[in-house]
Amino acid sequence: MGVRSTSQEINRETKERRSHSSSSSTSLVTSLMKSWRISSSSSSSSSSKPSNKSSQSFSGNPTTGTYNDTMNNNLTQTNDGHSNQLRSSNEHRLYSLSRTNSSDGNFDAMSKQQNSTTKSITSPAKTYSPLRYASPSSNQIESPRASLLRQQHNKHSHHNQIYYQHNNNSTISEHSTHKKSSDKYFEDLDEDWSAVIDNYNMPIPMLTNGGNGKSSTSNNNNQQHNDPRNNLSRTSTASSVATSITSTTMTQGQSLQYPQLPNLNTMEAIELEKSQEEIENEREVQELNSIMQRITKFDNIIKGKNVINLQELRQLSWNGIPKPHRPIVWKLLIGYLPANTRRQESLLKRKRQEYTEGLKHTFSDEHSRDIPTWHQIEIDIPRTNPHIPLYQFKSVHDSLQRILYLWAIRHPASGYVQGINDLVTPFFQTFLTEYLPPSKIDTVEVVDPDTYLTEDQKENLEADTFWCLTKFLEQITDNYIHGQPGILKQVKNLGQLVKRIDFDLYKHFQNEHVEFIQFAFRWMNCLLMREFQMDTVIRMWDTYLAETSPETTSSFATSNQSNSSNDGVLSPHTPVSRKPPTFGTPNIDLASPASSASRSNMTTQTNASPAGVSSSDDSSNRFSHTSLNEFHVFVCAAFLIKWSDMLCDMDFQGIITFLQNPPTKDWTETDIEMLLSEAYIWQSLYKDATSHWLK
Amino acid sequence: MSNPITSIKLVLLGEAAVGKSSIVLRFVSNDFSENKEPTIGAAFLTQRVNINDHTVKFEIWDTAGQERFASLAPMYYRNAQAALVVYDITKPQSFIKARHWVKELHEQANKNIIIALVGNKVDILEDNEDERKVSREEAEKLAEEEDLLFFETSAKTGTNISEVFLGIGEKIPLKGPEDEHTNGGLNVTEDQRVNLANTANASENASACSC
Repeated sequence: MGVRSTSQEINRETKERRSHSSSSSTSLVTSLMKSWRISSSSSSSSSSKPSNKSSQSFSGNPTTGTYNDTMNNNLTQTNDGHSNQLRSSNEHRLYSLSRTNSSDGNFDAMSKQQNSTTKSITSPAKTYSPLRYASPSSNQIESPRASLLRQQHNKHSHHNQIYYQHNNNSTISEHSTHKKSSDKYFEDLDEDWSAVIDNYNMPIPMLTNGGNGKSSTSNNNNQQHNDPRNNLSRTSTASSVATSITSTTMTQGQSLQYPQLPNLNTMEAIELEKSQEEIENEREVQELNSIMQRITKFDNIIKGKNVINLQELRQLSWNGIPKPHRPIVWKLLIGYLPANTRRQESLLKRKRQEYTEGLKHTFSDEHSRDIPTWHQIEIDIPRTNPHIPLYQFKSVHDSLQRILYLWAIRHPASGYVQGINDLVTPFFQTFLTEYLPPSKIDTVEVVDPDTYLTEDQKENLEADTFWCLTKFLEQITDNYIHGQPGILKQVKNLGQLVKRIDFDLYKHFQNEHVEFIQFAFRWMNCLLMREFQMDTVIRMWDTYLAETSPETTSSFATSNQSNSSNDGVLSPHTPVSRKPPTFGTPNIDLASPASSASRSNMTTQTNASPAGVSSSDDSSNRFSHTSLNEFHVFVCAAFLIKWSDMLCDMDFQGIITFLQNPPTKDWTETDIEMLLSEAYIWQSLYKDATSHWLK
Repeated sequence: MSNPITSIKLVLLGEAAVGKSSIVLRFVSNDFSENKEPTIGAAFLTQRVNINDHTVKFEIWDTAGQERFASLAPMYYRNAQAALVVYDITKPQSFIKARHWVKELHEQANKNIIIALVGNKVDILEDNEDERKVSREEAEKLAEEEDLLFFETSAKTGTNISEVFLGIGEKIPLKGPEDEHTNGGLNVTEDQRVNLANTANASENASACSC
C-alpha cells in the first residue's frame, strides 16, 4: 500500500521520470533516513562507525514539556530570546511534537537520529564538513545539531512513514495522528490580479459568485492577491469530488505525510533482525516508493482540484519538486498562477496578452528605445550561462533580451543590473520543459527551443518567464536599486551571523583582512547562482520559492494591519506553518479522530478568537516576515561555514581565491539539500538576532 | 633574500564588457574565452613576474564594469598602487567612461598611483580597420595630459598584454629587502591589504545620501 500503483499511467510516468526525480526525492530525505536506519540497525554497512546505543537509552516517553525543557537546556548559552524563538519555531514547524499529545517516542527517535546524523554528516564521503560549530561551549555545539535533526526529521518524516508501510510490519492505523491540522482547508491565494476578494472566509462557490468588494484598497493588485488574508477555507470534501479516486488518494497520501513515531520502537526491533542485504533491498524499494509517493503527492495537490492548497504545496515543495511538476508549481508558489484552478486559464491568457501588448508598445515607434539599457542587455545576453548550450541559441537570446529589456524599462528605479540576466534563466529553463517531450526534459540544457516549440508556445514561455521574474524580483528590489542597499545589508548580516555561528572563522577573516563584501557581494547579487551548477540552482529555487513568497515581503506587514480579519498568522511562508482554522468550518470529514482531536486542540490554543490569532504564537508573526533576502543570508552562512576548516588554514589570497571558485562542480541535489537544511537551522536559531540587525 | 618580492596592488576599471576580465585572464592564465560571464562585485587574481632581479607579485582586483556597481570601486582602488583604465577601441562611449575613471582616480585614489590607459580589442581591426572608433591619437593625448601609460591591447590575441603589466612594474620603485619597512605600500604586509572596512561604510553612506 505504500506504493500507489492504481494506474498504469502513474507507473509509466514514474519510470520515465525516475532518473531525474530520484535525485530530488531521495537526496537529503533519504540520506537522513539512512542515517536513522543506521543508528537503529547496527548491522548497516553504510556507516563505518558503530551506532551509539547509549543515545537510545535516552528514550522514554518524555512529555512535550520535557522535550522543550531539554531543548532549552541545551541552549544554555543562548539567551531567553533564542530559547523562546527556538521553541516557538519548533512549535511552528514541529507542531506535531509540541502541540499534539502524541509525542511519545518522538524524543526517542530524535535522540537516535541525532546520534546517527552526526555520523552521517561526518562520513568520509563528504569532502567538507557540513557544519562547523565554533562556539566554545559543548552545549551550544549540541543544540544546533539537535535542532537540525528535529527539523529534518520532521521535514522528511513522511519518508519514514513510507518505509514503515513498505515493511508491512508497522501498524498504519495511527499514521494520521500527525496529519496536518489544516488538511481540510484550502487557501485561496488567488492571483487573479484584477479581482478583489472581500470575504476571505467565504467558501469558494461564493467567491466565484462575486468576490469583489472593499478588501485592502491601499494595496496594489499584486499585494492584494498575494496576501494570505485571502484565505478561503472550506472542507475538501465539499470542494473536491467526494466520490472520486482523487479524493481518496489524497487522504491516503496525506495520511502518509507524517510518521507514526511511536512505531519506531517496533520498527527498530524488526530491523535488527534483518540482514544487511535485506536492508539494502528495502532501501532501494523504499527510494522508488518515495519517488512515486512524491509524484503522487504533487499530483494530488495540483490536479483535479478547484482550489489548490498552497500551504500544502509549499510544504511539499520545500524538499524538492519533481521535474514534471516544477513549471506549474513554481508558477503557483511565486504567485503567478492563481490557486483557484478555474481562474488559471483566463489569467494566463490575460497576462500573456498583456506581455505581448507590452512588447508591442515598447518596440513601437512612439516609444523611444532606452539605448544604454538595451545595449547593456545585448552585451550580457551572450555572456549569460556561456557554458550551457541552450543559452547560445539565437531564439533564446532574443527571448531573454525582450524579457530583460521590458522588465528594465518597467522598473526604472533599478533598471537592468548585471546578475538579473542570471536570475531569469532558471525560470526560462524550467518553463521551457513544459513544452518538451518527456524524453527531452532531462536534456533541456542542450535543446534548441525552435525544434520543439511553436511560435505561440515560445511567446507563452516568454511571457510566463517575464511575469515570474517580475514576481521574483519584487521580493528583492533593494538589491538592485541605486547603491544596492539590499545587498550591502545582506553582506553585513552575513558577517554578523558568521561572527555568532563560527567565531573562529570570523576572527580568521579579520586577521587576514578578508572582508565579507569581497566575496559575498556576488553571492547576494546572483543568489549564489554563480557558485552552483544550473540543476542544483533550480533545486535550490524549489526551496527558495517554498520558503519565501511575495506576500512575505515588507509590504505584508502593512497590508496585514490594514485588514482586521483573521489571518496574518497564516501566511504560507514556511513549509509546515499552520493554517488558520476558520470558524464554523467543518473540519473532520476526512480526518481521523486523532488528527481532528489534535486539530481542535490547536484551534483552541492558537486561534480561539481573532484576537487570539495575533497573540497566540510569536512564531507565526516571525515567519510571516521571512523574506527571500533573509533566508538567503542563512544559506550563504551555511555555505561559508561548510568550508570553515579549510578556510581557517588559508591566507588572504587563498581564501578569496577559494571562495571565488568553490569546489561545487560535483555538487548533487543532496549536497544542496543538506545546505538548505543547515540554513534552515541557522534561521530557526538566529532569526531573532537577524531581525534585530535588520532594524 | 636574493630575489625580493614586491607586491603591487592593482585595480582594473572601465565600462562593462570592454575586456577587463579578459585582460586579467590573459595575463594570469594566458587564456581567453569569447563570452565571459559579467563580473559581479570584483574578482581577485594574482600573478608573479620577474622584472630584472625582482619578483613582482601583482595582486589584481578586477572590478565589475556596470555603472550600478561603481559605488564599490573606491574600496578597491583606494589603496591600489596601480590601475588599468580600460576602454574598447570600438566603443566611443567606453572611452568617455575611461576619462571619468582617470579623473576619479586622480581625485580619490592614492596620489602616487600609476595609471595605465588601455585600449582593448585591437584584434577587431585586423579584419576591418573601420571598426576603430577611438583614435590612437586621441587616447595618446589623454595619456599625455594625465600622465598615464598608454597601450593598445588585445586580450584575445595577447597583443601587448604583458607589456602593460611590465610597464607598470617598471614604473613602480622596486625595493630590496632592506627597504621593506620604509617603503610603505609596496611590500606584502598584512595591514596594507585593501582596507574595505571603512570604504564599505563610505559607500553605504554614499548610497544613503544619494537617495
